[in-house]
Amino acid sequence: MTPLDQTPPSPVIATSQVETGTPVLTDRQAIMRILGLWHKQVPRLLIGVMLALVALCLGLVLMQTSGLRLASSVLGEVVITTALLRWVGGGRVILRYAERLFTHDAMFRALADLRVWFFHSLAQGAAAGLGFRRAGDMLSRLVSDVGTLDGLYLRILVPFACACLTLPILVFQLGQQSILLAVLVGALFASSAFLVPYLIARSGRAEGERLGKSLAALRIGVLDLVGGLREIRAFGAEGRILSHVQADDASLLTGQMRLARRAAYANASAFLCGQAAIFLVLLAAAGAFSLHVSALAAVGSLFLTVASFESAAALTRAGLQAGAMGAAARRVVEVAAGGPSAAQVEAQTDAPTGTHIHLEGVKFRWSPQRPLVFDGLTLDIPAGARVAILGPSGVGKSSLAALLLKAAIPEAGSMTLGGEEISHIRADSLRRRIAWLSQATHLFDDTIRANLLLGRPDATEDDLWKALDDAAVADVVKNLPEGLDTWLGEGGIKLSGGQGRRIALARTLLTQAPILILDEPATGLDAQTEQDFLRTLNTVTEGRTVILIAHRLTGVESLDRIWRLSGGKAAAAAA
Amino acid sequence: MSGNKAAIRGWTRTQSRLGRQAARPVVAFGLLSCLLGVGQAWCVASVLGHALVGLVSGAGANALALWPVFTFAVLAFIRALIMALSDTAAAKAGIDARRRLRGEVLASILTGGPALLRKTHSGELANIAVDRVEALDGFFARWVPASVLWYMAPILILLPVGFIQPYAALVLGLCGASVPFGQALFGIGAAMASRNQFLAMTRLQARFLDRVKGIATIVLAGRADDETQRLGQAADELRQRTMKVLRVAFLSSASIDCAMVIALVLIAIMDGRQAMALLSGGASPALTYTLTSGLFVLLVIPEFFAPLRGLALAYQDRAHAQGAATAILDLPEAQQRPSPEGARTVSASGIMISLEDVCFTWDPARGPALDHVSFTVPAGETLILAGPSGSGKSTIMELLLGFIQPDSGSVRLNGAPLESIVPDSLSRMVSWIGQRPVLFAGTLKDNILFARTDADEADLLAAVKAAAVDQFLPSLPDGLETRIGEGGFGLSGGQAQRIAIARAYLKNAPILLLDEPTAHLDPATEKSVFESLQRLALRRTVVLATHSAAVHMFNGRRVDLQAGHVAARQGAA
Repeated sequence: MTPLDQTPPSPVIATSQVETGTPVLTDRQAIMRILGLWHKQVPRLLIGVMLALVALCLGLVLMQTSGLRLASSVLGEVVITTALLRWVGGGRVILRYAERLFTHDAMFRALADLRVWFFHSLAQGAAAGLGFRRAGDMLSRLVSDVGTLDGLYLRILVPFACACLTLPILVFQLGQQSILLAVLVGALFASSAFLVPYLIARSGRAEGERLGKSLAALRIGVLDLVGGLREIRAFGAEGRILSHVQADDASLLTGQMRLARRAAYANASAFLCGQAAIFLVLLAAAGAFSLHVSALAAVGSLFLTVASFESAAALTRAGLQAGAMGAAARRVVEVAAGGPSAAQVEAQTDAPTGTHIHLEGVKFRWSPQRPLVFDGLTLDIPAGARVAILGPSGVGKSSLAALLLKAAIPEAGSMTLGGEEISHIRADSLRRRIAWLSQATHLFDDTIRANLLLGRPDATEDDLWKALDDAAVADVVKNLPEGLDTWLGEGGIKLSGGQGRRIALARTLLTQAPILILDEPATGLDAQTEQDFLRTLNTVTEGRTVILIAHRLTGVESLDRIWRLSGGKAAAAAA
Repeated sequence: MSGNKAAIRGWTRTQSRLGRQAARPVVAFGLLSCLLGVGQAWCVASVLGHALVGLVSGAGANALALWPVFTFAVLAFIRALIMALSDTAAAKAGIDARRRLRGEVLASILTGGPALLRKTHSGELANIAVDRVEALDGFFARWVPASVLWYMAPILILLPVGFIQPYAALVLGLCGASVPFGQALFGIGAAMASRNQFLAMTRLQARFLDRVKGIATIVLAGRADDETQRLGQAADELRQRTMKVLRVAFLSSASIDCAMVIALVLIAIMDGRQAMALLSGGASPALTYTLTSGLFVLLVIPEFFAPLRGLALAYQDRAHAQGAATAILDLPEAQQRPSPEGARTVSASGIMISLEDVCFTWDPARGPALDHVSFTVPAGETLILAGPSGSGKSTIMELLLGFIQPDSGSVRLNGAPLESIVPDSLSRMVSWIGQRPVLFAGTLKDNILFARTDADEADLLAAVKAAAVDQFLPSLPDGLETRIGEGGFGLSGGQAQRIAIARAYLKNAPILLLDEPTAHLDPATEKSVFESLQRLALRRTVVLATHSAAVHMFNGRRVDLQAGHVAARQGAA
């Protein structure tokens, strides 16, 4: 479903725009970039790997010594003491526990760094533009991509380091008995731990990408079905739409089955490598061919081999996930690292005190592939004026807000605030002068107080209540059991649409910015609430410049001037 | 809440039962693979045992038989095959279950119909049908088989061990039996720890997504640096709280490790001692047997604990199922729309619509949406429903579309009560155009043909022309073949309305319901859309809900609604 009244660039297009804006990364480069971000956690991550290695060694030793304890009885003496067995066994359990705790802790720290970096980069770069255009779905997909990357350390790096250590131990131990046996078993181990995972990762990549596309197709199909329920019922099209979605579903599931089958073969081949190694050790124990190993050493080697190959099995799973992880890393790095702000001119000036806004011949488009949104837009908004900017959907009303707030950069033309070019003004200084309220203004899952303080961090309790009062929502908040400290959203209370908009309005009023951009602030409210809300706006915005962006007026707004946007230009309409 | 919990438990139980049927091959292959593993262990032990005895007796290794070595290899091949089959069967169980569940969810959504969208956001519904169902893969592919294998496979292994070395079987059995206790103990501990942290953890987990979604608000408020710092703190707090839970949760897997180590060490020591005692008698069959069986038991220990470990690993898949159950249970029960008794059809041309004393309430707390509303629209005439938002216009539309049934009173077409008309026949009689037509992902042509898939080219072109779609076709990259909808070319509100009008032309139904078709259009576009609608309205029975000033373009009866009742009438309405 496409809600037609929203700004046209869909999330899909937004992604491709970001992709074209930055050099295309390979999965490996993206993963290296992510690993580079973890430099602060390197000691912890390394200690985690060390613990894993020691725990693994003790695991190998435990299997080997228990086998030898029994076997060595044929020598008539206790080679492996009971105490040694106990120590190795106890150590194994404790170290394994410590390893899991430590690696998880290190991973959470690394993930925290990654999230902070991602958020920071988004805030610096493309995000302002993306968030502006309500690409919420894309952002949540990216957030789950960041979450996926926890497997990079736990499921890929740690098992890989373990396998790298196991291989020389295995070869060295076997090499003391028979060089040939050591070489053969070593080769089998390498193919089980490295070759099979590598092959499955490589062959799985194309299939993984296809699956991603199938999933996206299914998601679009289901969204169409859900969003189009009225149309479907009105046209009696249930059967048709359902079979369409089921076809998408089938192609996704078929792809998953193919991948699962391939994974099953990979697992079986890794298993067979291990079995072949055991087979060789057995042949050696039986003295077949030229592989001859003493019986006692054979027992040790066999138990060692069994334990080693068991630890290598984790890497086949890692190979399966490598493709998904690489793709996730690439999306995260591309979005965070790229963005239009890179091309932005370094702005140094503070915003002037004047609040006269003037636009002259502004040309703008969201991306070079898309048509111009503004083509020679000229607009004049005197200080303290209350103006409305009207126009049908998709004409670029929200783009105007983005331009004024420097969330987007025009191609040509001049935009001034108090006589100063907006492009010369530092973004943070500009945004202290211009406050923005729209339907896309986000109320955070946090307390009402924290939501308000976002507008002005140093506001006093009285300021907060005054803002709430101005927005005509103070009574509602007073009646909440925890007042200002009531939690909104997930795990808290849900406000009605009108109440939510009013809290957002209170936050905007709290900013003390002399210019307010109200971008369809009443969308989603019912008629009565909308009129009440707009009447509130008339009284509380006294003395500030108000730019009201809407597709129609309700008649209750008090305005000095009305501009109508069409064909990329603005025309004055009757006040 | 407790009823809800019982419902979730019931759902999980039903799904487990269904899952277990599908998982039978997986369980069978798992048990078979276990048996093969036991056989292999015996082959290995036999080779090593004889080699060791050879060491005592001084006999050459040449005397050793090679048959167990080759048996081992054969078993290995069969086992690899069985494992691949088991993996494939597990994947298939997961896929079949997801196909079934997704079908059920979609059927529920279609049953619930448009009324569902009043309660739940469309994105949320799509999320249930796609992602929630997808997340259930692990439940069917891993958890369900693991929940059977974890006790059957160890018992299967214990039988031969008990036959060969009863005391070793006892040790192994005791160690194995202690695992569920450890799991339960630490599992309960972890659940308690996470319950204490639950609210804080949910909030912290949601925080990152929430802040990223609201990033424009943060950046435009100039608070990006502060929020970045706070996000770091929140992530750190989340880590500390999560670690508190994990510290207990990991004890449950440590308890498996511990049980396995104890079994391994005890059996190695006991068998070692026994072999030492027998050694004094030189190489004897008893010594060979003790060594072989001892090695066999040691080799079988990892096999014994593997299914227990598998259960612990699959445990989180069960948690996903509970999350999905909550969401799926909120959907209405899927059912065939009942075909009313004595269902009838109404002659397909010249239809008169009448509402008689209709009452309807969406939500008792907000009062009735329609309060004793009556009006009549003769065949071929137009009725204008006027009134502010929330006065009941949309409710009347949904009644006429048959999406909802009146609480009292009746809606009649040519005198026949609406609910007595066959649903298919009703949907053939009615065309509907809403505020924002939904454009499906596909070509423009597909979107128009949606109204009547079997329409021929001439009908299609006639509809395109009549709805003035041909006026903006040249501005589209591929004309009628341009892809629109999600991920495709964006159309303006006016253009989309024209597609809806083309659909209505193509469908050519005798009743036309127009629900604020120009609410989101600017006056110029509104005028031209109304002109197209005027032509479409000719010779049809039309109900037009609007509060547009341009409505004077239509002449006909008029009903003014106010808070659910008729405030004024014009014409013979």
